[in-house]
Amino acid sequence: MKNVIVYVEQKKGATRKVTFEMLSEARKIADALGGRAVAVVLGSGAAQVAEQIKGYPVDAIQLVEDPAVEQFLLDPIVHYVELAAKNVGPSLILIPNTLSGRDLAGRLLARLNAGVAADVTEIVVTNGRVECVSPKLGGALVTHCVLRAGDYGIATIRPGAFTAAPGGSGAQIERHDVSNATYALAIERDVEEGSGEMALEEAPVVIAGGRGMGGAEPFTSMLKPLADAFGGAVGASRAAADAGWVSYSLQIGQTGKTVSPPLYIAVGISGAIQHKVGMRASGTIVAINKDASAPIAEFADLTVVGDAFAIVPELTKLVTAAKQ
Amino acid sequence: MKIVVTVKLVPDPNGVKNIDPATKRLVRAGVETVINPYDEYALEAALQLKERVGGDSTVTVFCMSPESLKESLRKALAMGADGAVMLSDAALEGSDVWASAHAMSLALKRIGFDLLVVGGLTDDGSTGAVPGALAEFLGVPCLTNVRKIDIADGKVRVERETDGGYQEVTGALPMLVTTALTIGEPRYPSLKGIMGAKKKPIEMLSVADIGAGDAVGAAASKTELLSFAPPPARGAGKIVTPEDPAAGAATILAFLQEKKLV
Ligand SMILES: Cc1cc2nc3c(=O)[nH]c(=O)nc-3n(C[C@H](O)[C@H](O)[C@H](O)COP(=O)(O)OP(=O)(O)OC[C@H]3O[C@@H](n4cnc5c(N)ncnc54)[C@H](O)[C@@H]3O)c2cc1C
Ligand SMILES: Nc1ncnc2c1ncn2[C@@H]1O[C@H](COP(=O)(O)O)[C@@H](O)[C@H]1O
Repeated sequence: MKNVIVYVEQKKGATRKVTFEMLSEARKIADALGGRAVAVVLGSGAAQVAEQIKGYPVDAIQLVEDPAVEQFLLDPIVHYVELAAKNVGPSLILIPNTLSGRDLAGRLLARLNAGVAADVTEIVVTNGRVECVSPKLGGALVTHCVLRAGDYGIATIRPGAFTAAPGGSGAQIERHDVSNATYALAIERDVEEGSGEMALEEAPVVIAGGRGMGGAEPFTSMLKPLADAFGGAVGASRAAADAGWVSYSLQIGQTGKTVSPPLYIAVGISGAIQHKVGMRASGTIVAINKDASAPIAEFADLTVVGDAFAIVPELTKLVTAAKQ
Repeated sequence: MKIVVTVKLVPDPNGVKNIDPATKRLVRAGVETVINPYDEYALEAALQLKERVGGDSTVTVFCMSPESLKESLRKALAMGADGAVMLSDAALEGSDVWASAHAMSLALKRIGFDLLVVGGLTDDGSTGAVPGALAEFLGVPCLTNVRKIDIADGKVRVERETDGGYQEVTGALPMLVTTALTIGEPRYPSLKGIMGAKKKPIEMLSVADIGAGDAVGAAASKTELLSFAPPPARGAGKIVTPEDPAAGAATILAFLQEKKLV
């Protein structure tokens, strides 16, 4: 394990913030290991993304503009990242810890006989040894795990854990040929619902609503204005998504998104462990809840006990006024 | 159709979790062992498919875990699985994701399946990397995060959730799918199911049975757990019960201004 490969997730020429965070961290790790840092961007739109990431301190950006990446399920991505790994040589592969990132990590770990550290928030290299830090068991424990010396290692990276820092002399863009491999799983329909993840994971403030909202309407009439006042985004608990009040793309938690904004306001959310794991790392947590004994009060920095329907509109007014 | 469902036994997610400093493993004593919640959804999906496809379809549950936890698997049989196979061996202790998925794949090859239904995530380890690794080791297509499955003429048509919506994909058996929680709430075992479960077979497999050789356990693992510790504590939070809603809102604003968040 000497080099570092960053898998860049992209859709239609757009990528997420975690890409920039990984590219910045990759440089530090590659320097500590004495190797190269290489980004891999795949699919139509890859060239556009390569332009956006050029200002980050990696040595090379490998680019394969193969439309099969959008047409087939994951297999082309697994194929190309495996090729890149073989081409770059023994390396640590950084993959965002997202739904498809986890799938990719599992597939590659078998193909490359690699170890995997999941949901990594810190990487320490000492004398060529790669140590990954991950919160486990809903954040109740933090583990330090070593990727044993071997050809390849994989770390899935928690969005928001590393700091993006542009710099360096600019990466070389290398175009690679489209492979003639064939893939079995054609995507017949690909439906986007709402603006989804990007906004939520990257928002500086998240206003999340739960079962206490009682319906879909308060999400748009009450939570959205508060989010707008902060310049933030609206999220939800699973209970709210299950009830059909909001789309699942807004769900935060173990089976939804992991967010860590500087400010998280939980409105009518009890704070179940599965919700907590998705937002615990937020800078400041404020809860508005009728019930002073709700579990969220145990880990929120401030819990205001009362009816959200009365408090939130007042708060929106105050925040709007304070911002002027 | 032979459906196999992977089920992991985990400490109750709502129970208190402690780690033994000597072994760096979860202390299981005093914490109830349950079926990993995600795997109950996988099992529910398998049982529904069996009911729909009919014929001589069967649902077999597969679990890798210490034999001492065997009885915790009865719930899966009570829910309606036809039988269970358990891979248990002291040599498996300390397996990481690579070593676990590798051993599991050898056992699953031996068991055989048309459709392998895997949970999305384990509540205790939460790597989510096992399904992808299993699919590779088994050489079958991998469709993850599935909320709807239809099977006809050996073709599997699924609807799968993505980060921002959903996709429709078709593939051929044999195949591995992982289930999203939206696949449907797991059923409760009926009284008849609970009684019947006592008589259903749980077949035991060892490392020798699957021919895994030395490629097992801590020695074959690609990662090594160094340490674990509770995260830095957050300062205790304040709980305020305001006189009226306006006072509540003002409390929040003052708090945020103090933290320079507004
Ligand atoms: C395998 C598994 C995975 C899961 N994954 C997730 C996940 O990813 N994300 C997630 O969120 N959950 C997840 N859950 C569900 C989780 O266990 C909880 O059921 C869920 O988070 C509860 O949502 P809630 O807090 O909105 O609802 P509730 O627990 O019902 O809480 C509602 C809260 O609102 C308060 N309230 C009601 N009315 C008002 C009002 N007018 N003003 C102020 N407060 C009010 C109540 O006091 C209560 O505390 C998962 C569960 C399982 C089993
Ligand atoms: N020891 C095990 N026995 C049976 N199934 C398992 C085991 N470990 C993982 N799995 C399956 O793999 C899924 C994902 O696990 P993980 O990748 O560890 O989060 C789980 O939901 C289970 O269905």
